[in-house]
Amino acid sequence: MSVEIKLSRSNRTYHPNEPLQGKIITKLPSSLSHRGIQLTVNGSVNLQVRGGSAGLIESLYGVLKPVRIVYLPISLSPFLSLSQCLLVHHGRRALRFNHLGRLLQAQHRQCIPFSIILNHKGEDIKFYETFHGANINIQYLLTVDIVRGYLHKSLSATVEFIIESELANLPQKPVSPETVFFYITQDTQRHALLPELKSGGFKVSGRICTQCLVSDPLVGELTVETSAVPIYSIDVHLLRVESIMVGEKIATETSIVQTTQIADGDVCRTISLPIYLILPRLLTCPTVFAGPFSVEFKVTIVVTFQTELYNVQPKSDPRSFRKWVAMESLPLELVQSQ
Amino acid sequence: MEFKARDYRDDDKLYSLNRVSVSSHPLCSSPSKSLSHTQDHGSIEFFDPLREVSTEILEPVEDIAVAEKHPASRQTSHLSSKEWSSFNKLLMQRFPVPKMISVSSVTSKTIKGSKATVELPANTQSDELNDSQKLTEGGFKTVSQQEFIKRLHELKDEIMRSWQSDDRVTTLKLSIKVARLLMDTSVAQFYPTLFVLATDIMDMLGDMVWDRIKQKAEFGDDGTKICSLSDDFDANSICFEAKETCTNWFRKIASVHDLLPRIYLELAILPCWRFLQDDVINDLMRLVTMIKGVADPLASAYCRFFLIHCAQKLPQRDTGHLISCISDLKIELTRIVSMKETKYGSFLGDRRLVISLMEPTIEYTMRCIFKDPNQVGDMIVNLGLVNKSLELYGEVPWISIILHYLLRELPTAVICPKAVEFLHLVDCSSDYSFDQCLNYKMLGLKLCEEISQVNTVDVLIDEVVKVATRRKSLDEYLKILDAYMDIVLQYKMGDYLSSVLSAIFEKLCNEVVTDDELASLQSIILKLVTHFDDMKYVFDLNYFVDILDVMHGTSRSIVSMHILNNATRNDHINDPTTIKLLFDVAQSLHDSVDFSNTKQDDNQQAQRLIARFIDKVDHGTDLDRHLTFLVDCRGAFSTMNDLKEILVHSSNLLATRALRLRSKKKKDNLNFIKSCITYNEVTIPSIPSYSRQLILYLETAEVSLLGGLISHSDGLLDSAVSCLQDVNLLDGMRKNEDIDGIVSLMRKLCSFILMVPGNLEQGVTYLPKSILSLLDSQSWITPKLRIKILCSLLSLFATFSQNELPYHAVHEEVIGNDRLFYGHATYSQQLVSLSTIILHNIIDIIPQESSQNTRGKLALEACNCIATSLKVNDEISSVCSKLVETARSCLGPNDKYLQSTINFVHKQSPLSVGGK
Repeated sequence: MSVEIKLSRSNRTYHPNEPLQGKIITKLPSSLSHRGIQLTVNGSVNLQVRGGSAGLIESLYGVLKPVRIVYLPISLSPFLSLSQCLLVHHGRRALRFNHLGRLLQAQHRQCIPFSIILNHKGEDIKFYETFHGANINIQYLLTVDIVRGYLHKSLSATVEFIIESELANLPQKPVSPETVFFYITQDTQRHALLPELKSGGFKVSGRICTQCLVSDPLVGELTVETSAVPIYSIDVHLLRVESIMVGEKIATETSIVQTTQIADGDVCRTISLPIYLILPRLLTCPTVFAGPFSVEFKVTIVVTFQTELYNVQPKSDPRSFRKWVAMESLPLELVQSQ
Repeated sequence: MEFKARDYRDDDKLYSLNRVSVSSHPLCSSPSKSLSHTQDHGSIEFFDPLREVSTEILEPVEDIAVAEKHPASRQTSHLSSKEWSSFNKLLMQRFPVPKMISVSSVTSKTIKGSKATVELPANTQSDELNDSQKLTEGGFKTVSQQEFIKRLHELKDEIMRSWQSDDRVTTLKLSIKVARLLMDTSVAQFYPTLFVLATDIMDMLGDMVWDRIKQKAEFGDDGTKICSLSDDFDANSICFEAKETCTNWFRKIASVHDLLPRIYLELAILPCWRFLQDDVINDLMRLVTMIKGVADPLASAYCRFFLIHCAQKLPQRDTGHLISCISDLKIELTRIVSMKETKYGSFLGDRRLVISLMEPTIEYTMRCIFKDPNQVGDMIVNLGLVNKSLELYGEVPWISIILHYLLRELPTAVICPKAVEFLHLVDCSSDYSFDQCLNYKMLGLKLCEEISQVNTVDVLIDEVVKVATRRKSLDEYLKILDAYMDIVLQYKMGDYLSSVLSAIFEKLCNEVVTDDELASLQSIILKLVTHFDDMKYVFDLNYFVDILDVMHGTSRSIVSMHILNNATRNDHINDPTTIKLLFDVAQSLHDSVDFSNTKQDDNQQAQRLIARFIDKVDHGTDLDRHLTFLVDCRGAFSTMNDLKEILVHSSNLLATRALRLRSKKKKDNLNFIKSCITYNEVTIPSIPSYSRQLILYLETAEVSLLGGLISHSDGLLDSAVSCLQDVNLLDGMRKNEDIDGIVSLMRKLCSFILMVPGNLEQGVTYLPKSILSLLDSQSWITPKLRIKILCSLLSLFATFSQNELPYHAVHEEVIGNDRLFYGHATYSQQLVSLSTIILHNIIDIIPQESSQNTRGKLALEACNCIATSLKVNDEISSVCSKLVETARSCLGPNDKYLQSTINFVHKQSPLSVGGK
């Protein structure tokens, strides 16, 4: 005895102005009476604050009240046979049914198609794109409940669907890859370096895109021009910066989304190495600045040098400033593709 | 008892067939008289030291059959994938793998780690895929080779299993694990094997992903066929679902932190880019540049190697990546080569080992670059070898190991016209990645392939000699010169040749010659030997003979064999100095080969060559000199038994030639023949085989009778008979074929005795008597053999008894017995009495034969012989009927031979014999 939702698209990705379509699939051993079927669309931004730049008191709040984006409860009459085609519309509009009844028939598989319009003209709902971060979660869920009287537990199923920004709503500015040149030397570092790094000197230069389509790889290149101390590894960290308004304050936390190695070992000098990062889905989204929260991104180029100390020190946060590491951070604006 | 009288002239007329003259030989198929012996010198194996299979392999890696790949409907890649797998097999055999392999701790974790570590991830996203632990953690551990290989096979099976159970995440995780193994180059000599096994898994993964996405593109959710993709499909024709799956794979792989595994995995599914976009070359080129980020030269070299392999699966035949790979490799090698030995010693380890491990990848890349003969022009421009107008860039040094494989793969049409320029290129490219001297050699060998196209030969050789002279070691000097020797010879550059030879000799005198040097020397000498038709020219070369003397061991034998082979190609060898030198060569060959071991082909080859040489030597009319030569040969080649026979034959031939010359000084001539015969008399006893001795004695006796030397022939026949007295039972004489051989030899002896005048001192029938006593005394003579010889003797006596013998000796001074003893009563009596003894003997011996069948046949044979030789009177017919009875009891009455014998005997006598 189960119920499940199958969305029409295998990648579960929809634009806000597209109808969310799919089927409710029931598998029942025997016919079942019910007191109605309820479909619920629930989109919300969940915020939580822990550590980071938030103060002690704010962190005590823990989970903040979610910011609701969309909530659409759609009830189907209990006198309804669902074997027929069914159209479900937005709440205030009347629901039209072809046939009434109260039994779900015992069939091996019974499909109840549905179609929901999420965004009606005239209503101004801001659909943020789906994003799973450390403190901020933008999530859209579709739940089905088959209510079965007082003594029976209702059958339910939930599925997440993914919202991508509407094409029409995107800013029409041409996204030309905006590259920024960077260089990393012993003098650009704000933390203490090993003495041999200081004295020997090094220079890693390159360029990287700072505005990038979420669907496109982040590209760039870098060159080790000089380095007296052999290089151990060069990595590119993709970081997200999540900010949440807590009362009067803004709690910001930066965390690593993905690290990608660009150079493994002491590479040849003056050779250009490509930076090529495919942005992970769901973990990235177009840069958002909303009232109560914002999601931004950064890239950091991290150069690790060979040292004896590396073996001695315990593993620590890769972002912390270690003496044998040089780095350079650059802001990254992510844009939805056109 | 009476002998039957015969008239041989009448018999001859009666029995001989009518003769018809014909114009051509019935057995000769073509009228042309081709000399077959000029063609059999090609059989000598030429040992090319370069082609020698490396015997260094310590222990062959267990037979790891690389699974046959099924490039799903990608026929374009079919050929190259075959080539790839065969190259991989070679790769594994090329490097000896120690039993224990030292590995980094991460590798050892993968190898030894429990299989239970495969946990299902909650989220399919990146972080789980990167349990990145740094290689520097922990020290090195050792794993046995078998364990390592076993684990890799297990991993492959696990990947396959998880794929079949639709667990793609585990498949990917395990594949990443395998790819990560390739980061560990501390396994050193095991790395190629590891690479082969790991890339086999990568290929498998690639094929599985490709098939899955293709299936998604061709079939709908419900299994109905949507479309069928052709080999050169368009990315536009791929449905959204398939594209989505494909993108997901690339995303997952892109989230792998470590660079090398990420590259390997993307390469594995590289062909899948075609589902997303039509042009894959950009991504291929991006991967080429990404490999630059891998600093470990070994890891990056093999990664490029895999890239080239994967690129072959693409339908586009682009070569840009090959060029980039080579130029990246060049940069990397330049760095290694220029690095100070002490600095970063631990990082690169043994650099020579690293370079030798990288070598196959360079070889493969170069081979791919020059695969298409139509593109050679573009390629050499792209490689930066020549400029747009196809002129070689001046003295820009190359990494010598790359240059080596470049030279190897470049077509001769490119090299030959620019020989000097290439020489300069080799000249300026000197580093320890590859022995420069071998590059000189490679260039030389290339030029020799197409000698006619080589330009400016004089300048070239002049420079080569200079280059070679600069080399301090003799080995290098020889190696370089060896490669260019063909050019020197082809263009008849005599001056260079003699100066080179004198230089070689000078150097040889100053040093102890090593095996390597000998090999090069051998090659040079062989080139000289095979170049000239007449060995006279070769021996005339300055220092050639001296250099030959310095050589030793097997190379000396090989050279000697070639010299002899070459010399005996001509019809006659008559130049005295050449004969002398060849004799020395043959002698050194003889001394170097152990002839006691006759089973070896080499020995037989040597023996044959020496024999042929002796055969070909011709002193013209100077027969004495030739005999002296034969005497020398006997002394020099004393251990070669077969050769002694040839010597005896030669001496006999010499004697007959002397006879034929009919020189005016008859006396001298006779003396010469005598000395020939004496030579034989001395030589024959040293031959171990008795039957061979018998043949040679007979032959010599014939020759001496031809020369009218009756006493000599008597003596020889005597020795012939007596040599059979010493036959050892263990000599292998008992074999049937030997018995038959002896029978025919004895028959031959008997028919020869017929010509020999009876010796009055020893008695006319001295020889037959001694044969008879031999038969009685020797226990090894079987009854069968005895009967046959007795029959021959009986026939002999019957013939002796005739008034005129069927044939006589040629020499006028040798008078036959028929004339010597015409009408002699005692002579006839002797014959009769001996025949009586023989008759008795026959009757006595026949029952001794153990085999019934043979006994019967022998009885019939004897009966026939008796009935032919003797007049059939009562006495004889009773003997005959006795024999017939014996035969009947043995063979049965219906035997055809029996019947015809009875008929024959019956015809000979008025009385009836035997059964009805």
